[in-house]
Amino acid sequence: MLTTHQTYETNIRLPFSFILFGTVAFLFSQMMFLFSGPQMVIGAFRIPSVWAAVHLTVLGWALMVAMGAMYQLVPVAFLTPIWNETVGFIQFLVTALGILSFSASLALKMQMAFFPGLLLTFGFVLFFLQMFMTLRKQAKKNIMTLFVGTALVCLLLTIGLGVTLTFHFWSGTETLDHLLVLKTHVLFGIFGWFTLLIIGFSYKMVPMFSLAHGFSMKLARYVYIVYISGLIVSFFGFFKKYEALFPIGMSLLFVGFALFAYHMFTILQTRVKKKLDRPFLFALLAIGIALFLHGAALFCSFSKNVPIFNILIYAYIFGWIILSIIGYLYKIVPFLWWTHRYSKKIGKENVPTLKQMMNEKWTVVQCSLFVASFIGVLLALIVSSLPLFYIAQGGMLLFSLLFAGSIISVLLK
Amino acid sequence: MGMKEKIIEQLRYVIDPELGINVVDLGLIYDITVNEGNVSILMTLTTPGCPLHDSIVGGVKRALLDIEGIKDVDVQITWNPPWTPERMSEEALRQLGHR
Repeated sequence: MLTTHQTYETNIRLPFSFILFGTVAFLFSQMMFLFSGPQMVIGAFRIPSVWAAVHLTVLGWALMVAMGAMYQLVPVAFLTPIWNETVGFIQFLVTALGILSFSASLALKMQMAFFPGLLLTFGFVLFFLQMFMTLRKQAKKNIMTLFVGTALVCLLLTIGLGVTLTFHFWSGTETLDHLLVLKTHVLFGIFGWFTLLIIGFSYKMVPMFSLAHGFSMKLARYVYIVYISGLIVSFFGFFKKYEALFPIGMSLLFVGFALFAYHMFTILQTRVKKKLDRPFLFALLAIGIALFLHGAALFCSFSKNVPIFNILIYAYIFGWIILSIIGYLYKIVPFLWWTHRYSKKIGKENVPTLKQMMNEKWTVVQCSLFVASFIGVLLALIVSSLPLFYIAQGGMLLFSLLFAGSIISVLLK
Repeated sequence: MGMKEKIIEQLRYVIDPELGINVVDLGLIYDITVNEGNVSILMTLTTPGCPLHDSIVGGVKRALLDIEGIKDVDVQITWNPPWTPERMSEEALRQLGHR
């Protein structure tokens, strides 16, 4: 009989540093989007202020929160302690400084973004080293290791391509075809890194939060094979400038994601917990939104309509990546603080449940505001309405404030 | 009340904070051995990689060390056999929305 005495908890300050930074970065990025409204509604996405806002959202918020969550989730999900916490804190400082200077540089002096980009790269390399050394120690590899490991490889490629883009701006010379690098940067960044990471951790978190048991994991390997094939085919479509490959790549990504969505549905059917927590339902809603967006991307891949792809990318980042992270954070943050405050009191005195750490009704109001604002911004971008954009983006900014308040309220429990 | 019964009653104060259900009603306790004040608990968790692993194991130790006559507590986690919902009490199932 296999037994264990091993402990897996990470120093709470490490994941919280990332999450708190991310929460503040999200607030500022939404302000930047608000001020970029006049350009965005006319389809001008490739401008300094939008690039800065997108990178502050994707790097400052989504990536930092994902990293913080990984520092907490990897040890428990993979039954492997973090390799080196000191490196984790150094990585936080380097990455945070890198993101701030990189975003500022994109907004104010894009030609110089190459240098903070290098600092940012150093932060990512430290993170990659940390995760590689941690996952290497994992006794028994599984499909989650494959998803998360491949996601990390995609992150590394995304960073390399991003640095190449900033080098082009700085040097004024193109080492590689600029548009190819840009397209691949977006493909590996959002479809590769974020989607593979969320899929990988969903295989842990969905059964855990729903107390699902007795389900099969066989489908996961087909999800992986089909989705990765989609990424590779799309990349070769860009690389060889063979446009017919792009719809095939998008078809594979759609089928891969549809298989994942179906797998999640079958897992949820085996759940013991009948009434699911509300914030978790929003993380599940994000899967539905992503399925729709993969279908929309497939449909649009037959046309050469670049503005619609810009809107789809926005929708994918907010409707899938950010909504998933928000849904899971409403569970992760109370857990982290509970562990810090009450872990040593369990069995000694009455301690609150995780659900009591955050007002669930309030989280529903916030998530509903997020979804309504997200739809409003999308409509504003589609119909080019600046007043609608200001109203909807104002809602998004309000959400980011309320969300920051919710996170702080947990810390006061 | 015998020592084992006292231990089971005390373990009812150890709650899984995610579910709000105690470890006994969840069916996490597999075996209890008492030997001259030294207690050995063989238990599981609802899933390998449960984020509350350390909290629950620590909670079991602290709860049992409160019982008079217990000198030491050893808690071992096993995944074999894995936990199944059938191990839960009627009360636990009711709290999770069954019936």
